Amino acid sequence: MANKRYVCIICPNSCEIDVEYSGKTLTKISGQTCKRGDEYVRKELIAPERGITTSVPVRGGSIPLVSVRSSKTVPKELLPNLIAEISKVRAAAPVKMGDILIKNVLGTGADIIATKNVPRKQA
Amino acid sequence: METRFDVAVIGGGVVGCAIARELTKYKLTVALLEKECDVALGTSGRNSGVSHAGFYVPTGTLKAKLNIEGHEMMPAFCKELGVPYLPVGKIVTAKEEDEREYLYKLKGIGEKNGCKKLRIIDEKEIKKLEPNIKGIEALHSPTTSILDPFLLTIALAENAHRNGACVRLNTLVQEIEQKKDGFRIVSNNGNYTSGIVINSAGLYSDKIAAMVGINDYKIFPCRGEYHILDKNKRNLINGAVYPVPPKELGGLGIHLTPTTDGNIMLGPSAEYLPEPDDYGNTSEVMDKLFMESFEFLPKISRKDIIKSFSGIRPKLIPSGSKAPADFVMEESRKVPGFINLIGIESPGLTGAPAIAKRVSAMVKEIRGGLAENGAFDPVEKSKIRFAELSHREKSELINKDPNYGLVICRCQTVTKKEVIDALNNPLSARSIYSVSKRCRATLGRCQGGFCTPKIIEIMEELYHTKTSDINYAGKGSELFTGKKEGVE
Amino acid sequence: MITKTVDVAIVGGGPAGLSAAISAKKNGAGNVLIIERGENLGGILNQCIHEGFGIETFGEALSGPEYMQRFIDQVEENKIPYLLNSMVLEITRERKLLVASREGLIEINAKAVVLCMGCRERTRGQICTPGTRPAGVYTAGAAQNFINLKGYRIGEKVVILGSGDIGLIMARRLTVEGAKVLAVVELMPYSSGLPRNMVQCLHDYDIPLYLSHTVTEIHGKKRVEAVTLAQVDERFKPIPGTEKKIDCDTLLLSVGLIPENELTRNAGIAVDEITGGAIIDERMQTSIPGIFACGNVLHVHDVVDYVSMEGDKAGKDAAEYSLGKAKMEGAIRVKPGPGVRYVLPQLLSGEEDVLLSMRVISPARNVKISLIDKGRAAKTIMKPRVNPAEMIQIKVKKGELAGCKEITVTLQNGK
Repeated sequence: MANKRYVCIICPNSCEIDVEYSGKTLTKISGQTCKRGDEYVRKELIAPERGITTSVPVRGGSIPLVSVRSSKTVPKELLPNLIAEISKVRAAAPVKMGDILIKNVLGTGADIIATKNVPRKQA
Repeated sequence: METRFDVAVIGGGVVGCAIARELTKYKLTVALLEKECDVALGTSGRNSGVSHAGFYVPTGTLKAKLNIEGHEMMPAFCKELGVPYLPVGKIVTAKEEDEREYLYKLKGIGEKNGCKKLRIIDEKEIKKLEPNIKGIEALHSPTTSILDPFLLTIALAENAHRNGACVRLNTLVQEIEQKKDGFRIVSNNGNYTSGIVINSAGLYSDKIAAMVGINDYKIFPCRGEYHILDKNKRNLINGAVYPVPPKELGGLGIHLTPTTDGNIMLGPSAEYLPEPDDYGNTSEVMDKLFMESFEFLPKISRKDIIKSFSGIRPKLIPSGSKAPADFVMEESRKVPGFINLIGIESPGLTGAPAIAKRVSAMVKEIRGGLAENGAFDPVEKSKIRFAELSHREKSELINKDPNYGLVICRCQTVTKKEVIDALNNPLSARSIYSVSKRCRATLGRCQGGFCTPKIIEIMEELYHTKTSDINYAGKGSELFTGKKEGVE
Repeated sequence: MITKTVDVAIVGGGPAGLSAAISAKKNGAGNVLIIERGENLGGILNQCIHEGFGIETFGEALSGPEYMQRFIDQVEENKIPYLLNSMVLEITRERKLLVASREGLIEINAKAVVLCMGCRERTRGQICTPGTRPAGVYTAGAAQNFINLKGYRIGEKVVILGSGDIGLIMARRLTVEGAKVLAVVELMPYSSGLPRNMVQCLHDYDIPLYLSHTVTEIHGKKRVEAVTLAQVDERFKPIPGTEKKIDCDTLLLSVGLIPENELTRNAGIAVDEITGGAIIDERMQTSIPGIFACGNVLHVHDVVDYVSMEGDKAGKDAAEYSLGKAKMEGAIRVKPGPGVRYVLPQLLSGEEDVLLSMRVISPARNVKISLIDKGRAAKTIMKPRVNPAEMIQIKVKKGELAGCKEITVTLQNGK
């Protein structure tokens, strides 16, 4: 039986949520003030997930990089693999915000999408 | 690659550059060898920027003679080189009765040295000249002036280059061999032979002299720390203000000196160092420097400090020594043709124009005469400062060249054209330092936070500069460790 | 010289400026002009590629560029003109702006002006960190620009001074890009960053956090070679004997933001020395009628949604001013009391419902925030947790201000 205190990151309230757990089983939870916080902590204990934001080089663009993010969170332990996968990508201008640069990255169900418009470089 | 010169000047400080330029007035081949990526990176770029009137130097010394001569020559010197010179004046203020004596002593020394226009002023006049300064009596030196030591040294080097001198930056002298007809200089950037060598290597002048077996000199590095205040406090003082140094031990004796760019500098302190290369600032001195300045001028606050730096004086006397040392400025008797300038601390900047003339006379003597260079052009055009122009002048400039309309440095209002001009300097010096000292970008309150990326963009636009060649002040001071893989 | 006349001039095309511009247009201003010094609209959010923006405004956690695109789209939809690569050099009391642009020097006569210049970063020079001045010392925002916009690697072994959000975000960003972040160093005994950033930027990457520590020396002749850390006492003075030298090649500084009010001061507008921004009334109007201020140039924000809200308000009032709708002067003064660092606006008219923005001096739990006038609490609210890094907003109805002359906002134990 172990105890842990989480700070919920879902909204600026940053509730402090205490849990009691054994292995991956949660036995007691207190301090949460909403359902989302409850969900977050359960997930964080058992199968934490994270999103990623980074940049990808663009060929022929008005700027050299396009910022990207994952369309949804993925298992936290896959992040290093995701980062490695993303680092292989080279985008080509024009890139539109929302363009999918990697579809279903590493089978996680998350896409890597552009978060900026990058028009072609003016001559 | 071996190149032969009549004269090789070692050291691109204000003195070395002034000498090199002076020598191009004659039919001589001149080389200026500087180890850093640009000129004025040593003591010449780390001082108060003052042309002193000549009352701080002991009477009868070479220092005094050169101070007075240099101070006299300086206004015309700066004018022809297109660099700012502001006769803001200086007051040395006494706040206690027993400090009055010091003022009279200084005045006496000054007048003996040949200073003109020194006067003792009373409390009322102090208030008139400097409303924020308290004092019961002061020594007023109306001719004491401020200048920009970077712009001056740069103009000297660029003018020397234009008049035919070979200015070699990034050139560290490693060995000097005495030959039958002169000297062979080995450096990390080519080898040179020269009939005459002028050692103006500042903090390393003792080491340069030792290369030809002259071991009579030792430099004792003495560091002085400074604070630079935000321009919005410029109006607290009009000219330079130096309170009489405190009698009690441990007091720094602060100076408040305005700069030609509109800041105020506090300092310098004095601390002997074992080696001439530690330009750090210490918390004890930074603290003391501020507190003593604040006691004297309570309208400043710590928030006003935008940057601190330090300079190192090449002293010829060790810590604790009472006997003052004079400049060493002579052709070595042991090694003919080798002219040593050693221990050139203050008033080296003030004395630079006079030192150049003196050394050129030495060269003439050695060579038995010099022929004039009829093509010598003494004039360097002054740099355009967009920030200082009237609305109409600004408007006209932009219409002539749209790059004057793009402001790159927000704090100092420096435009793209000024950055381009700075980068296109004739010495091909392309570090951030080189740009900043020529056009004043990065030197404002945000210290380059906003404009450095833009300056780098311009560098890349103009020269396709490699990432590994983008540095602050030469090799080793690169800004980046590389680029993200795949970025164009 | 080119001359223009506009109804509302917006200085700065970042989050505050775009909000103000859209709001001014929507509230009836005739012609609105945005003047932006950068190459694009969007301001600092162009380089904030991480998520977390827009939770209040859109109910989504967007990245900076995505958040800004929502506003840029509205600017285009509303056909609001904007100047890029144009720097305002001067603003006068008469609301005349002098602008440098490649097309020429422009003089703009505006009926109303909204100041949205944002802020700059506190530098190493300002905090007087001892040691040498080698390359490799960056403020976090400058580093963010190099990494996110240009693709440079600023260093491989990094120490970060300051655990505010910008420092924490950069700790993660650098790690994702393959650099090693050796430590985040924080002067205070607590981090000033949002808890979610502590989790996602430090804990996730096992980056050590040194609380109650500071950098006491920078080492390196030409490039950073190491930094010395030391623990600090309750007066934030380094404790001798606690020094620890860390080999690194980069020092990142996240030591505070300063509103960019040079134009403001030069115009003669009254500035509050604590916020670093203009003194305003509830219309976001400064001491010069017709000149308004909002966003980071007014006071440093943590959440961009509040910046947009402020911009929205300022734009509305600037539009109304430009249309000649006179409003009553603010005569009720608002001051920070014990426990409170600052409160905005500093002047209220009492004619409108208002939103007060404030920050506390130290973190505290179970507190009571009171608006005290003549010894009486005009309003009281309870908060379970407050900390200096999180701006607090208090809605006050105009009825609650009836009869007030000078309000002091205080923080007390809320038992």
